Amino acid sequence: MRSRTDLGVASATLVFCAAAYALTFRFDKVPEALMSGLGAEFFPRLILAAMAIFAVLIALGVGNAPLAPPPRLPRMVWITGAAMLLFMALVEVLGMWLAAFLFLVGLGRLWGERSLVKLSVSALGLCAVLYLVFVRLLGGNFPLGLLGALRS
Amino acid sequence: MDAFLAGMAILVDPYMLFLVVAGTVLGIVVGALPGISGSTTTALLLPLTVTMTPAAALAFLGSIYCAANFGGSITAILINTPGDPSASATAFDGYPMAKRGEAGKALGMSAVSSAIGGIFSVVVLIVAAPALARLAYQFGPPEYFALAVFGLSMVAAIGGDSPVKNLLAAAFGVLIATVGLDLTTGVERFAFGVPELSDGIDFIPVLVGLFAIAELLERASQHGTVQDWIKLNKVELPSLADFRKCAKSIFLGSSIGTFIGALPALGATTAALIAYNETRRWSRHKAEFGKGAIEGVAGPEAANNAAVGGAMVPTLALGIPGSTTTAIILAGLMVQGVRPGPHLFTEQPTLLYVVFSSMLAANLLYLVMGMGAAKLFARIAMIPDAYLWPAVFVLSVVGAYAPNQSMFDVGTMLVFGVIGFALRRYGFSPAPLIMGLVLGKMVEETLKQSLLIFDQNWLMFLSRPVVVVLFVITLGGMFAPLLARGWGRLYRAARGRTA
Repeated sequence: MRSRTDLGVASATLVFCAAAYALTFRFDKVPEALMSGLGAEFFPRLILAAMAIFAVLIALGVGNAPLAPPPRLPRMVWITGAAMLLFMALVEVLGMWLAAFLFLVGLGRLWGERSLVKLSVSALGLCAVLYLVFVRLLGGNFPLGLLGALRS
Repeated sequence: MDAFLAGMAILVDPYMLFLVVAGTVLGIVVGALPGISGSTTTALLLPLTVTMTPAAALAFLGSIYCAANFGGSITAILINTPGDPSASATAFDGYPMAKRGEAGKALGMSAVSSAIGGIFSVVVLIVAAPALARLAYQFGPPEYFALAVFGLSMVAAIGGDSPVKNLLAAAFGVLIATVGLDLTTGVERFAFGVPELSDGIDFIPVLVGLFAIAELLERASQHGTVQDWIKLNKVELPSLADFRKCAKSIFLGSSIGTFIGALPALGATTAALIAYNETRRWSRHKAEFGKGAIEGVAGPEAANNAAVGGAMVPTLALGIPGSTTTAIILAGLMVQGVRPGPHLFTEQPTLLYVVFSSMLAANLLYLVMGMGAAKLFARIAMIPDAYLWPAVFVLSVVGAYAPNQSMFDVGTMLVFGVIGFALRRYGFSPAPLIMGLVLGKMVEETLKQSLLIFDQNWLMFLSRPVVVVLFVITLGGMFAPLLARGWGRLYRAARGRTA
């Protein structure tokens, strides 16, 4: 039995395989005299061919139960995704630890916690523990951001 | 014997003992947290182990792996939501037991049967792994190629109803493993001129993304779901009568779990589900199953913990992961420059006995902790999502960044988080992708080495008996689910015609 969702998955896979296969033609060529055995492109092409065969099997409904269309993505997924991207941008400006603190408080609030005090205390605690373990104990260097750079 | 004693002696070292205790506590806690599985925890904490010695890292991760399966049963029994997927079968009877006021009894049986299953499998691991390694000493690249392909083909069985999707995900994992410099020709593949991609895609950001970030997005999509907690008074040791009733189930579960765990790719979840069915089949009280049968808790719990030791057998002896979590542990060892396989038994036997002894210790520890502090662990598992999941994200970012001090790795983690989330939405499991990623390099290298040995003659693979046997099993494993389904369809059609 086929499902439209599986057909979509199979089509996307085939397009991906075709694009990746095309990319294998752009690999640097090794001079014949230096070649021994299989070229660099052989194995990826073999795997892409296998992926294409599996995609066709999925399209034909062989070997898997038909998949119902997934439900629409709830708003919270988009909000969480946007918060992650915002965090990445904030790291560049504020540095890792301040960005992490703001993310913990901000996303916690968006996920339904009303008490900013509780959120702030727990965020501070987590950031402090991570700082102690990864910076003080393991000697890691984390991004300080533009603010950190200006300060130093 | 010396190596065994040395391995045991390491546990007297306060640092190692601390790691085993910390790993066990963490394993139970995160195992109990719905959504954060043992695999996710192992992936999240992998960056921390980069700075440890291989023995310490193995002891720490091994303890988490052992304890997480037990931890998963706490929420399976109390809120009908398995903290770890391997505890899903436990919920079938554990939750009905809890609803009729026997939560403590169910948790007690879960702790005891988990410990028995876990210890049984570690004993099997101690005996079987060196024996398998001795056998594997005769293996050359062609046998390893066949073994790796067999391991990949076994992913068809993960997740049950979509074997072809699992194979596709595994192939995608192998493709990701090809990114970067080809070791034989020195040609860059799929690197797009990005220097960070020249050495290939790092395991850690991919693993953290696929498990932690994908799970975070999954939780975001279920935001607002309220779970009904059942009150737990205290955990009870099973009575002698309960023990007598469950002895057969525990033995069945332990044997099935160890065997299934030892098969490449199949882990604790599959073992627990099969053990549940077999326990029911061999029980004298079939009618009680699904309504709160204590045997229905004992069998799967023994099995999911026995699968841990079983999964370590091919991982340590052959370098082929026995489950998703062992694939992550294997990836961690590879990051440290240790490649498990038969040579490890002669070169670093102490390392292996550290694994055995730490797993034995973890099994005993979670029995004690489970009996004494299950109530506390259950309370910890009630951390509100608004605190837990943002913290998981920050921990993921720090973990992905720390090993190479690179924001590129954080970006990679986010990309794979989105890929993992999309895969789940469309019926794929991330586990086969991990198997493909971990085994990818091995498949390619052994294929190329084999063809050099065979002078590029592919047919020469058939001149090696072990390879032929493994290829036959591989083809059987890949096509058996399809044939079984087709046969079932024909049988039903034929019955429909005669009816």
